[in-house]
Amino acid sequence: MNRYLVASALALATALPAQSETFRWAATTDPQTMDPHAVSSAPVLGFLNNVYEGLVRRGRDMSIEGALAESWEPLPDGAGWRFNLREGVTFHGGEAFSAEDVLFSYERASSEDSDVSSWFAPVSDVVVVDEFTVDILTSSPQPIFPDSIANWMIMDSGWAAENGADRPARDAENFATRNVNGTGAFMVQSRQPDLETVLVPFDGWWGEVEHNVTEAIFTPIQNSATAVAALLSGDIDLIDPVPVQDAARVNDADGVYVLDGIEARVIMLGYAHDHETLLNGDPNIFADVRVRQAVGHAVNVPAILQAIMGGVAEEASQLVSPAMRGYSEAASERPAYDPDLARSLIAEAGADGANFTLSCPNDRYLNDEAVCQAIVAMLAQVGLNATLDAMPVSNYWPELREDNFDMYLLGWSPGTFDAEHPIRFLVHTNGERLGTWNFGGYSNPRIDELLPLIQSEIDDSARQAMLDEAAQIIQDDAVYNTMYVQPLLWGVRDGIELTQRPDNFFILRWVTVGAEN
Amino acid sequence: MLSFILRRVFQSVLVLLVVGLVAFAMFRFVGDPIDTMLGQERTLQDIERLREQLGLNKPFFLQYWDFLVRAVQGDLGISYRQGRPVAEIIVERLPATLELALVSGALALFFGIVLGIFTAIRRDGITANFVMSVSLIGVSLPTFLIGVLLIYGFGVGIDIRIPFTDTVINTGGMPTFGRGDTVDLGWWTTGFATWDGVQSIILPAITLGLYQMTLIMRLVRAEMLEVLRADYIRFARARGLGDRAINFRHALKNTMVPVITVTGLQLGSIIAFAIITETVFQWPGVGLLFINAIQFVDIPVMAAYLMLISVMFVAINLIVDLLYVLIDPRLRVS
Repeated sequence: MNRYLVASALALATALPAQSETFRWAATTDPQTMDPHAVSSAPVLGFLNNVYEGLVRRGRDMSIEGALAESWEPLPDGAGWRFNLREGVTFHGGEAFSAEDVLFSYERASSEDSDVSSWFAPVSDVVVVDEFTVDILTSSPQPIFPDSIANWMIMDSGWAAENGADRPARDAENFATRNVNGTGAFMVQSRQPDLETVLVPFDGWWGEVEHNVTEAIFTPIQNSATAVAALLSGDIDLIDPVPVQDAARVNDADGVYVLDGIEARVIMLGYAHDHETLLNGDPNIFADVRVRQAVGHAVNVPAILQAIMGGVAEEASQLVSPAMRGYSEAASERPAYDPDLARSLIAEAGADGANFTLSCPNDRYLNDEAVCQAIVAMLAQVGLNATLDAMPVSNYWPELREDNFDMYLLGWSPGTFDAEHPIRFLVHTNGERLGTWNFGGYSNPRIDELLPLIQSEIDDSARQAMLDEAAQIIQDDAVYNTMYVQPLLWGVRDGIELTQRPDNFFILRWVTVGAEN
Repeated sequence: MLSFILRRVFQSVLVLLVVGLVAFAMFRFVGDPIDTMLGQERTLQDIERLREQLGLNKPFFLQYWDFLVRAVQGDLGISYRQGRPVAEIIVERLPATLELALVSGALALFFGIVLGIFTAIRRDGITANFVMSVSLIGVSLPTFLIGVLLIYGFGVGIDIRIPFTDTVINTGGMPTFGRGDTVDLGWWTTGFATWDGVQSIILPAITLGLYQMTLIMRLVRAEMLEVLRADYIRFARARGLGDRAINFRHALKNTMVPVITVTGLQLGSIIAFAIITETVFQWPGVGLLFINAIQFVDIPVMAAYLMLISVMFVAINLIVDLLYVLIDPRLRVS
């Protein structure tokens, strides 16, 4: 590693203007590993997108564009996809990139030790056609396969073998946990877990350089008050996130501003569909669709957004936000806030005055506990007595898995940025591989029938028609009560230009540090 | 004497075992590490397999036993979050906490003694009373708030306009978080070797030491007032000795005995209380490590930290007890 550093430092010293632009940014969590296949979480994948690359990548507007593959086309009869690789790409360590590395990265990322192996569930084989052509064969037609592998990052096979990092290590450490050898625009100069990670530009990068950063330093800062102070004092150039309650203050301060956008994460309420009784032994009112619809009309989403989200979030009518592929225009209306209608539906269902528990995490989503408190108050106005049970997320998922809930709060961000994703995980009948987050046990034969058809439909309009049907069923049946799309709030120093993407990934190669720094 | 020492050591080991047991029992309420370790696309099979790998499906006492057997051999396990040996992580993070504790302790001791003597000698002075009133803040404000106030006061800074001029002075400029530039000595990282590192330690050290400082100050003051009323001080005055000789040669010496004892005992709490200060200042010590571990349900790290802190407290108490026995013959068990 050091050999390359010296070489690149010399190259930098000669190639760049004397102006050195150090950029510092902070987020609440440190990426727990530098291994692109070991942990499938946004902090890890987002960070590694700056140093590793996939065959394809997402642009500023989330559209799919070529990265290590220049082009790709479906194989005849839906047998899979052919990727034509970019020639002349080198890894940070100087190794040449070829089809061999793609095959190796497939084997590594689809192995049992990998946390991203589910991306390759439909893949039956990967065939190296020649040095710069790879065929990825699938067991059924996969129209959105290229979209689903934007975060599948390619590692050099020789480097991994040499350093004994053939497989991702999850409960131990291997060489790839702290060392990086990707093809990305930046390389890791030093890494101190939980403390500081320093990136420098890779001068052998194949792409066109749009940034002017000569050194980028990432530090985790957990405490939001400290992060805001660090931004205001100039110690940090960007913080993610800015707490909602501080956004106005940061915007008013000199030299900094808040960049806000909409994340891909939809926040919703889920129900115990298949429980015999509620936790307190009363009959399960949520088995009745009228009660679920009533909750939809009882929750005043605009008020929640105004009071708790600082007015920067958007209502959500379905399991995905409008920015996602396969969003259903037909189902774009959220049930209107109508307490009278809610009361009459509850009376019809005979659920008036029912007592139940609303389970809620208190450290997972933006202001999650405050939102739940507001919901409890809103439900009380229509005659439903909810008791709030808020807990840290580390206790929350086990509780949901063990069916200890009546009604619960959930946020979902589709990894593939496609409407099929939440249907697969949240709505399909709960099983070994499908419906793994369908805690409420909702089961609908038509949805189960639609999902495989959606997954293998090549024709876009036919696919959309099925997605529309599914979205309509989910909305009519009030399977979930989607409320809003979570906002993204970044605090940025004046003069820094960057792009905020809905997946909340921070892409360093779009950063320009302004003159006033 | 030997039997007393043996008995005390045996008691200490027992205390450690109980602490470990209580800690392990508590971990079950912290949650399940599996969910924080796996991504959203995990299958139930993945969950079961990882549980198996980590030995989480073993009975509780067996898990505790495994931990003890390994800990005795110096193996504290592998962190769930970082995948690295816990011992390695703790060794990496300990210098930050120890340096912070050292500087806080030194500040607390120095200012505590100086102000304590001052407020005792000038008992009726305006300044002394003012210092006493202000010291109440140190006792009553929560550490967290003191830290945030210091960050905003001296890190971000407040603009102060000098009256009748256009000159504006900003009180900020101190580092708002972290340790600054550190120098790695191989077995220790120090922030004392760079100006940036020295600047970085000031605000967190004040935050952590303020409470201890007021404590020491009040203790010194009370002791000093006590001593100044003693007969031998009167005699000294009657002999015509000057104020300075009386205050600093005769009175102070006798004041210091209880102060040293308390300071020794407080050293443990400084290290344990560092958690809050480290969180506020993103100070990369073991306290912050522990807070991270709780959020992630990183059981090996939590267990190691709690054992470390309890070993420290038990050791300090043991040493203090033994010292008393050496100093005071009346305590020796016949």
